[in-house]
Amino acid sequence: MTSPIRRTALARLLLATALAASVGGFAGPAAAAEDTPIVVARNMDVNSLDPARGFCDTCQIYLTAVYDTLLTLGDDNKTLVPKLATSWEANDDQTAFTFHIAPNATFADGSPVTSEDVAWTLQRLKNIKGDPSFLMDSLASIETPDDKTVVIHTSEPNSEFLGILAASYTGIINKKLAEANGATAGEDAATADQADTWFFANSAGGGAYELDSYRTGDELRLKANPNYWDKKPAISEVIIKQVEDAVTQAQMLQTGDADIAMQIDPDTAATISDPEIVVDTVPSFNFLYIAVSPGAKGNSVPLTKPVREAIADAIDYEGMIDFTVGGKGKLQPVAIPNGFPGTDDLPMPKQDLDKAKSLLAEAGLSDGFTIEAHYPAVNAYGVDISLMMQKVQQDLSRVNISLNLTPTTFAVWREEVGGDGIPMTAVYYAPDYFGSAQYVQYFSMIPGQPWAKRAGVGKVEDLGNGEKEAELLKKAMASSGDAMVGAYHDIALQMIDDKVIIPLVSPDLVLASRKGIEGVRYSACCNLALGQLSRD
Amino acid sequence: MSRQELALALPPGRPARRWRARWMSVPVLCGLAVVAAWLIVGLTVHLWAPYDPVMLAGRRLQPPSAAHWLGTDALGRDVLVRTLYGVRYSLPIAAAVLAVAVAIGCALGAVAGFFGTLVDGIIMRLADITLSFPPMLLAMAIAASLGPGLVNAGLAMVIVWWPIYARLMRAQVLSIRALDHVEAAVAGGAKPGRVLIKHIVPLCWSPILVNATIDVGQVVLLIAGLSFIGLGAKPPTPEWGQMIAEGASSFYHWWIATGPGVAIFSLSLAFSFIGDGIRDLLDPRTMQE
Amino acid sequence: MTRTLIRRILMMPFLVLGIVTVAFMLSQITRGDPLAALIGERQMGNPTIVAAAKAKWGLDRSLPERYAIYLGNLVQGDMGTSFRTRQPVASDLSRRLPATLELVVAAVLIGGVTGVFLGVLAAKYRDTIVDTVVRLLALTGSSVPMFWLGLLVLFIFSVRLGILPGPGRLDTRTAAPEFVTGFFTIDSLLAGQFAKFREALAHLVLPASVLGWTVTGIVARLVRASMIDVMSQDFVLAARAKGAGAWRVLLNHGLRNALIPTLTILGFTFAYLITGAVLTETIFSWPGIGSYAVDAARSLDYPAIIGVTIVGGFAFLIANLLTDIAYAIVDPRVRTGGA
Repeated sequence: MTSPIRRTALARLLLATALAASVGGFAGPAAAAEDTPIVVARNMDVNSLDPARGFCDTCQIYLTAVYDTLLTLGDDNKTLVPKLATSWEANDDQTAFTFHIAPNATFADGSPVTSEDVAWTLQRLKNIKGDPSFLMDSLASIETPDDKTVVIHTSEPNSEFLGILAASYTGIINKKLAEANGATAGEDAATADQADTWFFANSAGGGAYELDSYRTGDELRLKANPNYWDKKPAISEVIIKQVEDAVTQAQMLQTGDADIAMQIDPDTAATISDPEIVVDTVPSFNFLYIAVSPGAKGNSVPLTKPVREAIADAIDYEGMIDFTVGGKGKLQPVAIPNGFPGTDDLPMPKQDLDKAKSLLAEAGLSDGFTIEAHYPAVNAYGVDISLMMQKVQQDLSRVNISLNLTPTTFAVWREEVGGDGIPMTAVYYAPDYFGSAQYVQYFSMIPGQPWAKRAGVGKVEDLGNGEKEAELLKKAMASSGDAMVGAYHDIALQMIDDKVIIPLVSPDLVLASRKGIEGVRYSACCNLALGQLSRD
Repeated sequence: MSRQELALALPPGRPARRWRARWMSVPVLCGLAVVAAWLIVGLTVHLWAPYDPVMLAGRRLQPPSAAHWLGTDALGRDVLVRTLYGVRYSLPIAAAVLAVAVAIGCALGAVAGFFGTLVDGIIMRLADITLSFPPMLLAMAIAASLGPGLVNAGLAMVIVWWPIYARLMRAQVLSIRALDHVEAAVAGGAKPGRVLIKHIVPLCWSPILVNATIDVGQVVLLIAGLSFIGLGAKPPTPEWGQMIAEGASSFYHWWIATGPGVAIFSLSLAFSFIGDGIRDLLDPRTMQE
Repeated sequence: MTRTLIRRILMMPFLVLGIVTVAFMLSQITRGDPLAALIGERQMGNPTIVAAAKAKWGLDRSLPERYAIYLGNLVQGDMGTSFRTRQPVASDLSRRLPATLELVVAAVLIGGVTGVFLGVLAAKYRDTIVDTVVRLLALTGSSVPMFWLGLLVLFIFSVRLGILPGPGRLDTRTAAPEFVTGFFTIDSLLAGQFAKFREALAHLVLPASVLGWTVTGIVARLVRASMIDVMSQDFVLAARAKGAGAWRVLLNHGLRNALIPTLTILGFTFAYLITGAVLTETIFSWPGIGSYAVDAARSLDYPAIIGVTIVGGFAFLIANLLTDIAYAIVDPRVRTGGA
């Protein structure tokens, strides 16, 4: 409300209101592109287009296309491969990482990518304290021995640091250009950096694409970077079009208005029988979960460990997959995606009503009780959370627990969950890079972590296995290879035993595209790599 | 839509030709029959419905069949049974909303029209300001601030609706007040409150009644709209708007949204028919004589 | 009569102030912390960040202070900066308003023309089956859930039959014409891009028809009533007695009589639809202020919510005033107007 004054804006508003305009205009030259632009239909959730501030699935797609990272994920979604950095080394205790930048790497304006740009970008990401800043929590210092060499020191061992540098949010920014437009990387960047608005209309990267234009709630247009230093993209223009629901996305694919849609739910996908549309269903790293918070103010009975265990036992997991995504999903034992380090051979969740009943009887609750369940009423990865919670409601009613469902908006949900807490809630999570630590640092009961706080660690006694988890995490961070995987496996077992975060389903990803579009591939770091798309 | 339309389409004293065509009775009868049918369903559905409205009734996403006439939804619940139960929410809430809105609106409108000057100014400006907000936006804002739930949605709707009746009532009172016998009563020293209640209010009913009848359908629509965007009924309530929202997300399974869609349409249309019929029957001219 | 009108015009500033005030207050009672729209989930617990964001967006001031600041800025044409788009709300609205206006103008045109046509038909063939059908159509228009109808017509005409384009203002790959009026149909013509013009027009058909259908009903009913009204009056009967053809009399006298109330109600509908198109815009991915309002409401983007509400309220006020003026001109008997 106390914003820079824009007198002209209202004048333009009035002008626009005038129905007839007397001024004539001249046609701009028609787009002379030889190849047809590729259109991606998406429900965009963009909160910012600044790499240090944006934090959303669409942001991942955009940032990957526009800002090159030091490393990136290979096609197997596990191996790190070179991008801006042609080679790299880590010291033995995982605290110092050295990168050698490709000598021919340039930004879109032609200036070379230097070690200074890398240092500035990562420091800015840390200091701006935006959503993705947690990625740089362990960053201690950065040295730039020469123009093309960067040495990064972390404050504690971090075996995942290389993985983090493949996250799209760590895309390297053209320092000079960004600084000229209000960006800063200093300690006070959180308040001093003024480039957020500028990034909504401009890009300062060296990726395969550049930002052409962005209209909130309408479309995001990207044009190929003519000076791209690496393999040039095959498509000269990509348009991400705001399309709210899965049905419309499917319709647009059928009419040819869109080439790619990734948010079509399996039920809708199953009804598409158009030879022009290729539907590929692949396992994803996304998942939906319910969270039970013993520390929430609205609890009618204490949600002790046996009660939480009873809740987990009462849920019909197989049925959940069937009901939420028409069977197109996977069970997930812990709040770390299947296939991430440490998740092999974990005990699968399964329904056990007898055990649930006896646990409740021991707790003196066989007559049942009521839990308030508030959740954001959104559709995430093809799952209608409202529908999912109605299924949970049906399941829990079989052990006399009744759920009182209240859907809310995300904004209200965030306030509730961060304030008094919510007895039971449901949300989703998608990875920012390949690595398990991000999950432990979010879902474990280690004091101070987001869900530990929300669940009530510190307020409620004997909640979860935070101490053990903290210890194991330290071990995982300081080791690599099998030792690291083993440590994450142990953490996973502790997190399952917390019975606070109960994953329900990992929905398969539906990649739907028009025939002839190549390179549609789902990536753990980057969602969809636009630079790899081509037309047959 | 129709709230402004109606407030306008019946300007005070606007001569409306009296025509009571014979065919009119058919739609009115149809309307009454539909409403009566829904009432009966609402009162008795729990006695004869073959399935529970919130529990699993069969395999999910089944198209219409002999066992499930309108198919099943994503949770395997019977769409027809849920649709039929839906009237238990829509109709009583619409009626309650209108009763309260009419009571508040008419009281304020009558007072404003009769006493005039400052009271009139304040009440009508308040009404103007409220009416200045697009109903959907206002209802959204209020429902959002009160939190989701049918009762809150109803409250939001009352706030949106009262000014229409205030305006209508005021206009009626103004035109009737100018009639000879009323002016005579005022001149004769009768107490204003008594004149208002004895001489004026009884003459104002027809347009109010017409509007209220037609508005039942509109309130049903708006509540469904609020539920559709998630501000009305909480799941698993078989509320129509909520059901359409669930159906819209799997639109290719057309039967899920069809049941509640047709239900809203039929109820809303029935009330329009009845209201339209009453409008003709209670032609203002005949009433004033 | 003129005195009443003058008084009403003098009242306008107060009403505008009232609208602004209510819009402002409404946004303040909304549940949920606007900070959630401003800073990240992980930073909500960081007091430095919270304090900085509050200071930056003026949320650390008291309510009256914020109100005063808002009013002061508004007078200078500044409606604040959107939490979500980080653009001035006024410029967001000015970019999106033309999209809505274009849709609404088209809807009102479609609704008006079909409404007059049907109304005339119904009046001519009063009390016959034609009349009944028209009347049914008219009533249906305001009884059908729009959000359902929108999905339905998209499915039928765009997907199944493929005769009309899908959602959006233009085909997805087409770039918008250069901004002159913001109306894609007009701008494309001004730029001499006829293919683009046809495209923009085709994209208007479905959403405008869905919106327009409600208008059709109202207009048809009104036209029919006022035509029948005038047809029984002496001068018309006289004209008919003099041998003028039924259709000619109907159109000459009847339609003329129906014109003013019709135009009035169209004006009103216009104002209503500017924000009444909320659900239609959402379903047809139409980047107007209706969908802007929904997005703003979802993310508790207060400055944007207030901005949209003020624009909607203002449009209503103007329409109200015009209605009063029109009535005063047409019918001198109406002294106090429709309040």
